[in-house]
This record gives sequence, C-alpha cells and structure tokens, in this order.
Amino acid sequence: MKQQNFIYLGLGIVATILFYVLRVSAYECIYAVPGFSDQFYNAGLYDMIPLITIAVPWATAGIYYYAINSVRFDRWYHWLLVGGISTMLTIIIGYAVNSSVFSDMGLSYGAESLSFELANAVWAVVMFIVASFSMRWWSSNCRHTPIPQ
Amino acid sequence: MRHILSYLLLAALTLSVASCGSSPLDKAVKRALVQQDTTQAQFDSICGIIQQSPDRYRQYLDDKGQINIAELQALFDRIGGELRPPMRWDISAYGQQELSLTIYFERSGSMVPYDNAGDRGQLKKAVNDIINQFPGRKVSINIVNDNIYPYQGTVDEFIKDRNIYASTAGVGNSAFTDFQQIFGAILKAQDATNVSVVVTDLIYSPADAGSVSIDKILNEENSLVTSIFRQYKGKSVLVHQLMGDYNGKYYPYTNKPVEYRGMRPFYILVIADTPVMDRMAAQSEYAELLHPSTVRNSYRFNQSEAAVDYCVVPDWKDNAGRFRVDHEDATRLTKCEGDKTTGILCLTMAVRLDGLQKEESFLADARNYKVQSASGFELKVTPITPDLVTGNNKMYLDGKTHLLTLTGKMNGPRDQVTISLPNEMPAWIAQSTSRDDTNPAASGFSTTTLGLKEFLDGIASAFGAGGNYTTLTLNLEH
Repeated sequence: MKQQNFIYLGLGIVATILFYVLRVSAYECIYAVPGFSDQFYNAGLYDMIPLITIAVPWATAGIYYYAINSVRFDRWYHWLLVGGISTMLTIIIGYAVNSSVFSDMGLSYGAESLSFELANAVWAVVMFIVASFSMRWWSSNCRHTPIPQ
Repeated sequence: MRHILSYLLLAALTLSVASCGSSPLDKAVKRALVQQDTTQAQFDSICGIIQQSPDRYRQYLDDKGQINIAELQALFDRIGGELRPPMRWDISAYGQQELSLTIYFERSGSMVPYDNAGDRGQLKKAVNDIINQFPGRKVSINIVNDNIYPYQGTVDEFIKDRNIYASTAGVGNSAFTDFQQIFGAILKAQDATNVSVVVTDLIYSPADAGSVSIDKILNEENSLVTSIFRQYKGKSVLVHQLMGDYNGKYYPYTNKPVEYRGMRPFYILVIADTPVMDRMAAQSEYAELLHPSTVRNSYRFNQSEAAVDYCVVPDWKDNAGRFRVDHEDATRLTKCEGDKTTGILCLTMAVRLDGLQKEESFLADARNYKVQSASGFELKVTPITPDLVTGNNKMYLDGKTHLLTLTGKMNGPRDQVTISLPNEMPAWIAQSTSRDDTNPAASGFSTTTLGLKEFLDGIASAFGAGGNYTTLTLNLEH
C-alpha cells in the first residue's frame, strides 16, 4: 500500500511537470483570441500563470490535508469547498498578475483577461484534484477525503 | 515523510529551472523587442549588461573586449524569432565605421543663376541641410565643371558663404561640364565608407557642341553615362529632383545664352556602394540625405530587392472571416474561412516600407503593387497614422508604415498570395525631360531638363533595371 501511495505521488508530480512543459498548448486549447494570445505569449504570462495554477492548488491541498487535517472537516463537501477556494484564489491571483503585466505594457485586454482566467478554472480544478490524490495518503485525518481509500 | 518532501522539492526545483531559464541579457533583449524600444540608448543599455559581466557573456565580446555585433545579432534574431509575431532588430549599423561625405558642387555657367542674392536660394539651402545633418564630421567639398577642384575654404565657410558662385569664380572652366571626367573621377575615388553627393543641373554640356544636332548630343550622353557606370556595378545612385529659383543666363545646347527668370529643376545625386546605401536607408540619421525635405521626385538605381518587416494583424477592424496565424511561421495562415454571410476573407498586414526609399505617394498607391493569387485577392494600401495605433495593436503597428489589406474569396483549400512592388523607372523621369531647351518661354521649360531621360536611361542600362523592391508572401490554408 505504501508503495502504491508513492506511485500516486510520483504520477501527480509527473502530471504537474507535463502540464508546465505543455502549458502553451494546454492553454491555447481552452482559450485563444487573436491579438490577446500573442501579447500574452510575448509578456511571458504563459510562464507565470501556469506556475500560479500549480502553486495555489498544491498549497491549498497541502494546507487542507496537513494543516487543517481535522476529523470535523473531512467530508467530501469540505474538500469541495477547499477546492472551490483554491480555484477562486487561482483566478484572482492570475487576473491580478495578468492585469498588472498588461498595464505595464500599456495594453488593455480587460475582458479577454477575465475570460482567460475563468477558462483557467478548468486547469486549476484539475491541478487541485491531481494535488489531492498525490498527497492525501499521508494525512492522519483526511486521507479518506474525497473518496475513501 | 522525508521521501515525500524530497519528491516535492525535486518537482519544485524542476519547475523553477524550467521557468527561470533566461538570463538578464535575454530578458533585456526580449523586453526591448516586445516594447519596440529599438533605440541607440536601449542598445547601449544591453551592451552595458554584457560589459558588466564579461565572463558570463564572453561569447558576445571580441578579443579586444568590444561587443561582437555578429554574435549579438544572432541572439537578437533567436529571441526575436520566438516572439509572436517574430521580430527583427538590425543592429549591424552599430558596429560599422563612420561614413564620410564628399560634396561635388557643380559650377557651370547654367548653375550660377540658382544662387542669386535676391532669390530664395533653395539650391544652397538643400546642400547646407545635407552637410549639417550628415552624422559625423568627415565632410569635404569640391567644385566641379570641366574637372574636379577642391574647395579652398572650410566646411563652415562654405555653409556661411552667401554667394558661393562669386567666391568660386575662376575655378575651372565653367563653359562646359564633362560628365565623363567628373563621374569617372568620383566613382574611381570613392572608397567603401564614402558617400558622394553631386549637386548639378544634370545638363550635359560638352565642349564644341554648338554645331552638333541634339539627337547626337543626347545619344552621346546616354552612351557615355552607361560606359562610366557599367564599370561600377556595385554602386547605387540615388537621384533627387528639387526645384529652385533661377535668375540669369541660361545656356541651351546651342550655346547661345538666353535670359530666364523663374523656377528650374536641379538634382542631387547620392552615390555610394550598395551596402552603404542600404545601411543609410536603415538608419534615421541619414533621412535628410535620402529624403531631402524639399525633394520633388526621387529614384534609386541599383536598388537590390529588400526584405521588409511585416506581420498579419490578427485583430483589425477591416478583417472579415476567420484565420489563424501559425506560431512557427508567421507567413502561414491556417483555418482560413470566409465570412459566414458574404464568404469574403479579408486580412490586414502591417508592413514597414520606409527602408525602400520611395515617396509616400508611390507606396500608398495600390496600383504600384502586383498581387498574385489563385483566388484573385484585391489589395488596399493604408498609411499608418498615429491615430490608428492603440495599446492593443501597438505590438503589430509600431515601427510599421503601411497596412496592406487583402480582400477576396478563397476558391480552393490553399492559396499562396504574393505581393510585390515592381522596380520600374518612374513616370516623373519621362515627364521631366526635354529635347529642346532653346526657348525659355516654352511650356514645361520650368520643370524639364535637357536630356534627363537619356542620362538616367544610361545609368539604368549600366546597372540593369527591373526586379522588385520587395516581395511579401502569405500562405493561406483552410
């Protein structure tokens, strides 16, 4: 069982690294708009936003399983709530970074930036699930969340 | 737990390495390209990064510790090639030797009335502007008529001289202009870093021409010019036509002077090696030389086909239908589809044409372009004005001069659209030439020059005319 848990962790890390390596294609398959996507690429946001989309879900999942780690907060809907917060945080931080970079460059893509970050919710959710199934096994109180072992 | 932390640490390290791979130099170059800040100051700042860390950036320095322009250009090209759309900043000019300027000021009898004290002095002003705005101080001046004679004063004295023809009276023989002698000597003396400027009325006045027919004189002029220039096929000649006040004796080909007061054309010929001319065209410091502010018409001989910067503007008000610019090849458009209701595909390119040294009226006229495509696309040309540039399209329009809009219906799964700007002798040459200059009251006397066409045809024959100024290609796919 212990070895299987490490396999889950390894697969989660590989999936996360793969997501980062293939980030431009991953994002352009969910959201690509003429003009905006080129500026997004040139501004280096295809480097920054995926890092945020990885860091926030992994951090919130870590906090849920190892900091909160409570029997009073180990139901599937608790996990779903944390996942929702994680996704919202990813959207808000991503939008703030995106707007700041574009503003420095004198660009105004407010509507496109918002649409992009909302579309990024897809990857934020995927990353939270990947992070959860990578790290939950060693949590003393929440390892059965969201699905029992 | 230790194992888990090791796994996570390794993953974080991998992501850090993947995301922070570029050096400060790479970032500075990318920032300059993205922000279109391709100025000397920005270039100096990038060189400063290299010189502050000579060990880290050794490959961009030569043996003497100076910037290796070729290596740095390769870095600029690599980073620019990764951008969308790909960008190029030609930095080759920063490492080149200073150019020198040699003025050849014609002092034949017919030139003197261009600089009367009571007139506006456009001829002298045009020469002074070229001297004053030429970068660097390597300037020399010669007086030409039957031969070339060095000007005896300093450059400043020449500029200040209010009556240049009076102060150079007695230099050479002003009764005739020996083109063979003058152009032969200029071309022979010119080195690879020199720019020669000939200020002339371009009227061929050989000795003892009084009894010779005009046809014979002009044919002789044409052959003479060809025979001189054909020995120097690596040179480029830029001919500017300007207008100036004229008040005094005019010497027709019959050599019987007539009084004339009014406007007359005069010419500034810029002669340099073709790479030097191309280099000047790429640098704004030479704008006055290549595009004098008072120029009426211009034409460059021996202009090789040039690659110009262009990119498709993906989000533009005139665009219709759908297309996607390929990220690897900016000249390839995929998923091209006409508008759902009209079936029309309309796409716009931003192009930088100022390096072609053509007048705006020529560049802005779609009839001067040749469009080849299986679908019969039509072209519209719009000059880029500041009001068209907004924050969002700045990336595409900055540094560009014209918008080329193609409109048509694709009649196949793929099409290659080729837009070229043919290099043809401009109409103004035929309109500005005459074969009889004996009657100053004749219509067209004020705007024509005896034998201009024969003279310029002679240069064209020597260099071989034709070809295109530039060619742009787009590959469209459904």
